[in-house]
Amino acid sequence: MNTPATALAIDDLHFTYGRNHFEIAIAALRLEPGEQVLLTGGSGTGKSTILQIIAGLVDPRRGTVRVAGKEMHALHGAARDRFRGAHIGMIFQTFNLLQGFSALENVLAALMFGELPRHEHRGHALGLLKSLGIAKPDALVETMSVGQQQRVAVARAVACRPALVLADEPTASLDPENSAAAIELIQRTCSESGAALLCTSHDPAMKARFPRVESLDDLRRPIATGTGAGA
Amino acid sequence: MNDFTIIRRSLAARKLSTVFTSLSVAVAVALMLVLFMMRDSGRAAFERGSGNMHMLVSADSDPLTAILNSVFLAAPPRRPLEHAKFEQLAAKAPWEYFIPTQIGDSYRGLPVFATTGDFFTKFKPGPDETWRLKSGRFFDKDFEIVLGFRAAEATGLKVGDKIALTHGMPKTRAQMQEEGISGEQPAPHVHEEYKFEVVGILEPTGGAHDRALITGITSAWILHAHDRREKEEHLRDAGAGNKEEEHGHEHDHDHGHEALTTEADLIDSDKKITGVYARVMTRPGSDSSAMIPVVFSQMRTDPTITVAQPTQEINKLFAIVGSVDQILIAMAAVVAASSGISILLALYNSMEQRRRQIAVLRVLGASAGRIFRLVLAESLLLGAIGAAFGVVAALIGARIVASEMKARLGLVIEPSIAPLMGVYVVGGAILLAGIAGLLPAFVAYRTSVAKNLRPLG
Repeated sequence: MNTPATALAIDDLHFTYGRNHFEIAIAALRLEPGEQVLLTGGSGTGKSTILQIIAGLVDPRRGTVRVAGKEMHALHGAARDRFRGAHIGMIFQTFNLLQGFSALENVLAALMFGELPRHEHRGHALGLLKSLGIAKPDALVETMSVGQQQRVAVARAVACRPALVLADEPTASLDPENSAAAIELIQRTCSESGAALLCTSHDPAMKARFPRVESLDDLRRPIATGTGAGA
Repeated sequence: MNDFTIIRRSLAARKLSTVFTSLSVAVAVALMLVLFMMRDSGRAAFERGSGNMHMLVSADSDPLTAILNSVFLAAPPRRPLEHAKFEQLAAKAPWEYFIPTQIGDSYRGLPVFATTGDFFTKFKPGPDETWRLKSGRFFDKDFEIVLGFRAAEATGLKVGDKIALTHGMPKTRAQMQEEGISGEQPAPHVHEEYKFEVVGILEPTGGAHDRALITGITSAWILHAHDRREKEEHLRDAGAGNKEEEHGHEHDHDHGHEALTTEADLIDSDKKITGVYARVMTRPGSDSSAMIPVVFSQMRTDPTITVAQPTQEINKLFAIVGSVDQILIAMAAVVAASSGISILLALYNSMEQRRRQIAVLRVLGASAGRIFRLVLAESLLLGAIGAAFGVVAALIGARIVASEMKARLGLVIEPSIAPLMGVYVVGGAILLAGIAGLLPAFVAYRTSVAKNLRPLG
């Protein structure tokens, strides 16, 4: 029986940008299938950029990023985009839903680029939205409440049954109560779909909600075991 | 959910821009199609109308007017040919046919074309075409009438029906303006005394005769001879009345106006001819003869008549119209180019608002190439929508132009879009839209995903 590949494996990652040569460096980071990790760091430390590097949207100066056993930056062009669509789900602080599209269409849009057979798309998307409490899947997303929009964003992120979900400050614009509910929803949905979760936040209150927390500062240090430090 | 849904939603999100951009394409396509349709249909109508005649003889002021009046039945000629002149000309050359025609009467606004039986047996409506009857037969007696295909359609008359003709034809707007008539058409004079029996309905030929009611020229002469005799009788009565009044007598004024005129009552001045369809003898199977220019030159020396060669006049007409045509087509091309630019601007400007949408689609797994194709397809769809509206507008517009041409000039043009022309214009519009979409598509292709999701940091 094949063991599922590590959901995320980062080694010796270096990235610089800007005139001041702002640098991000990660010696090593591993996420096993289904594992949920909080990546912390202050504002402007590069948390979002790391997620974009993992998603293959930005190329690092050096180092490797493996998602579900595949080296992301060895893929180019459409192959990388296809791989991202099929294996990575992303959740944003502002949700980034497709405006003018219904909740159902937002989820179906993700499925368009995944590997699920086309005839299963609609049923799968409706099932997901229902399980997340979206009663009107045909409603346009801009007519929905913030809470509902977040649910649609979560449904879209896990629609393709990805190995890894990247959540970029998903609670930054929410009050503490809603913030807790939102993170609980994301965590539960990822657990149910079997996806590993890497969530960034600068909110110290989030630390208690994750079984494992990594600080960007700590990740800079080379780690002999090749695994990130536990929380 | 597919690419088309994304394109559709994107267009719906910019409704106003989509509507106006499509409209600009529609205007360009409609303008082009109307111009091409009117040019081609007009030319076809002109070329078919003159059939196999070599020349037309009339007393009109110029050859083009003669052709428009006597062949395309635009308006009754102002001056007719006298019968004596007709007979003199008929003996002047070796004619294959020399068919007298007269127009001047009408029925429900449609022209009545009076001629002889030779019109159906010798004059051919098109190359190697003969007149064919849809029903009934050709006329062979006085007061029998045969309907052109469109005339039968327009009037709903059928074989066996009896009708009374109206003296004169409804005046075109141009004629009314020229004659200083404002408002309504003058009240028509109907020849109620004579009923014409519909004996046949023709198959369509595509020429102007399709909308005519065709009868024997003697019948037309009798109608007008009857009018002449009535006038003469009134004048006589008026003279006699004056005398009676002078003598203090009272009389019944019914002097038997109902006495019908017959062929025997015709005098030479009744036998007016408005045009003669003429064809010079040719060898069997040939349409040309060395005699045509000779006869034409000879006929033109007579200053009392106008001789017109239909082909030459139609070519002259299209040489005049052609230059206007080219200007209009150039204008349509400019409109098309500006519609291309408006597509480009509409899409290009929308890119600013759509960067986030593009970035999201990229995150979801859409490749840059697919985004390029989506924007290009959106542009092509805008072109296609515009072109579809343009085709509909062109068909409506061409009908309006055709009806205006009928009202103003009396010319019957049946516009239709030739398939190849339609493919070129519609295809051209879509291609132009595609070219216009290249730059916005490239901008979309180059959209940075990372920058447009949220600021780095």
